[in-house]
Amino acid sequence: MDEDAGSISIGRESVDAIALENVTKSYESVTAVSGVNLRVRQGAVLGLLGPNGAGKTTTIRMVMNILAPDEGSIHVLGKPVSDESRDSIGYLPEERGLYPRMKIRSLIVFLGALHGLTEAEADRRAREWLDRFELGEWSEKKMIDLSKGMQQKVQFITSVLHKPPIVILDEPFSGLDPVNASTIKDVMLEMRDQGSTIILSTHRMEQVEKMCDSICLINKGRSVLDGELRAIKQSYGKNTVHIEFTGSDAFLNHPAIASINRFGTGVEAKLNPGADPQDILKAAVQSGVQINRFELLEPSLSDIFIEKTAHA
Amino acid sequence: MHKLWLIIKREYVTRVKTKGFVIGTVIVPLIGIGFTLLIVFLVSHQSRQSLRLVIVDNAGGLAPSVAAGLQTKMPDGTARFNVVDSINRPASLAAAQDDLRAKINSGALDAYLMLPSDLSQPVELHTKNPGNFSLLGQLSAAVNQAVVEAWLRARGIHVDNVRELVRSADLQVIKVSKTGESVEKGQTIGVAIALVILLYTTLLMYGIITMRSVLEEKTTRTMEVLISAVTPSELLAGKILGVAGVAFTQFLIWTASLALLGSYGAAMAAMGGGSSILSALHVPASLLLCALVYFFGGYFLYSSMFAAVGAACSNEQDAAQLQWIAMAPLVFTMVIYSLVLNDPASRVSIVLSEIPFFAPVLMPLRVSLQTPPAWQLALSITLLFVSIGAVIYGSAKVYRVGILMYGKRPTLPELVRWLRYS
Repeated sequence: MDEDAGSISIGRESVDAIALENVTKSYESVTAVSGVNLRVRQGAVLGLLGPNGAGKTTTIRMVMNILAPDEGSIHVLGKPVSDESRDSIGYLPEERGLYPRMKIRSLIVFLGALHGLTEAEADRRAREWLDRFELGEWSEKKMIDLSKGMQQKVQFITSVLHKPPIVILDEPFSGLDPVNASTIKDVMLEMRDQGSTIILSTHRMEQVEKMCDSICLINKGRSVLDGELRAIKQSYGKNTVHIEFTGSDAFLNHPAIASINRFGTGVEAKLNPGADPQDILKAAVQSGVQINRFELLEPSLSDIFIEKTAHA
Repeated sequence: MHKLWLIIKREYVTRVKTKGFVIGTVIVPLIGIGFTLLIVFLVSHQSRQSLRLVIVDNAGGLAPSVAAGLQTKMPDGTARFNVVDSINRPASLAAAQDDLRAKINSGALDAYLMLPSDLSQPVELHTKNPGNFSLLGQLSAAVNQAVVEAWLRARGIHVDNVRELVRSADLQVIKVSKTGESVEKGQTIGVAIALVILLYTTLLMYGIITMRSVLEEKTTRTMEVLISAVTPSELLAGKILGVAGVAFTQFLIWTASLALLGSYGAAMAAMGGGSSILSALHVPASLLLCALVYFFGGYFLYSSMFAAVGAACSNEQDAAQLQWIAMAPLVFTMVIYSLVLNDPASRVSIVLSEIPFFAPVLMPLRVSLQTPPAWQLALSITLLFVSIGAVIYGSAKVYRVGILMYGKRPTLPELVRWLRYS
């Protein structure tokens, strides 16, 4: 069953892992998702971004066939979304929790079997994963007896046990210490290298910049930005300068500077469209400050996020 | 189907393994038996103190023979009546009554019996506690005897023992059923009441178990993971069937113990030991089967409603407030069951036992008292299972919407609106 991923031989590159076309979903009077289009190619690591309440969870739930869209269509690996298509997806929801009084290993086996594994196979894989995450000695303990970080690792195991070709991870690192976060990250990279498609929904932009090759930014139920991360950044151009200096900061009142973000050691100045960074450098030199560093930067994903969501 | 089976299996295995199951299996029948024994005890041992009584005789001359007719004793040997005084034709009836009323209010006296001067008028019993019906029969019998005795004496007929003459015949009730005849010593009523209590308790208990089980999946957020693997209908059906399996296991254990106890009682009786309580536990297999069918009918009806309530709420407090929706018909059954107990063949009883929400308790009650016509059984089972279909359909809709809703407890109109969602 779990080998299905490999059997989609016809144009593995041509069939999108997930395709949403003009998807709309409303609750009572609120429109949660409105006309969203999204294509996730197989093997991509996509960052699904958006402020709280933007419609990310609703979108994920529609892909998981938990909710049905009011309009539009959703395809998973080229087939319309269905109860069967869900077995090709591993899902780690943001609101986590599993039966608190079940023993860890039987819990993992139960959920693995629900995703189509035989119990023997699920049990074999459960042992492997528990050992890998250093939870082997906890496997006969109840969920409630585990620390939050351990519970999170167990939940992660349940979402990938059936080796799904697509994994949707909603805030997978929240509440994890750096060691555990790094373990999870390694597993994600490993899955990517094996050809899995990963959708990472998170508010932590630095993780997206490190891990994702493409992004989709949703705001107020609409997708406002989507595509390859590198291309998006390049389209913004190098409109930010990082300056470290000693002396008066009066030169920062220059008309070409749109906004300033101060750090301990320096400032990041965002320029108005069409402004020349050299003008800032001249103004700084003329004002007599000592410049230690002057660097042109691409906008950070965080800046793009704020710009796209604040003015939308 | 495989996923449904996995859900059923998990629900069954995790429940049967708990301490709660073991305790429930032992405690519930003990409560049932205890409650029945308590009722029997209270009925047979009520008013242990004798009733302090004054006879006001306006006719004159009747009081001594009335008092003589009140010589009955309670099982423990104390006299049932204590005739403190008798007042023959009081000079001022009003003053005498004021005095007696004051005594009753101060607690020095329990009641006074006033015989009218004209015996065609009613005899009055003045008491603080008018509810004790068992005493009324004896009092009126004593007055009757005294009046008959006086009437006979006035006509020159002397009878040594009027009481023997006017004594009402002992009536022994023998229950006729298809299997033969059995002397009725209250065991039919005992079994009937035990059955009602058992059905009510188990329906309520398993309903609440189902509700809490749904609620647990919601509050612990296990729900989101589950419904990303199975459909809400599979989850709901698996839950209800899994808990039904637990209930069935429990019933098997109870029936087996009952059969063992019954055969033990029969063996003791055969050896001449005779244990009346144990042999009274003999319950016909047909009644057990009927109780089982109606229990499961009632279980599917009520637990699907309880499951919907659990799905609609986000915490225990909200569920405790909303569970009346599912509980109300069951509790109402307990209010009206005595109507059926008193007269199982009356039109009211027949109608009530056909109503699907009451049938799971009331129809087995009727069957335990007398065998209803087959068409009534067939009709009530048909109505019950049609209603189960409708209720599960509605509950599944509420469930599907509810399991994803967190926050404020929905109001009844909101629940009704959920029913209309596609």
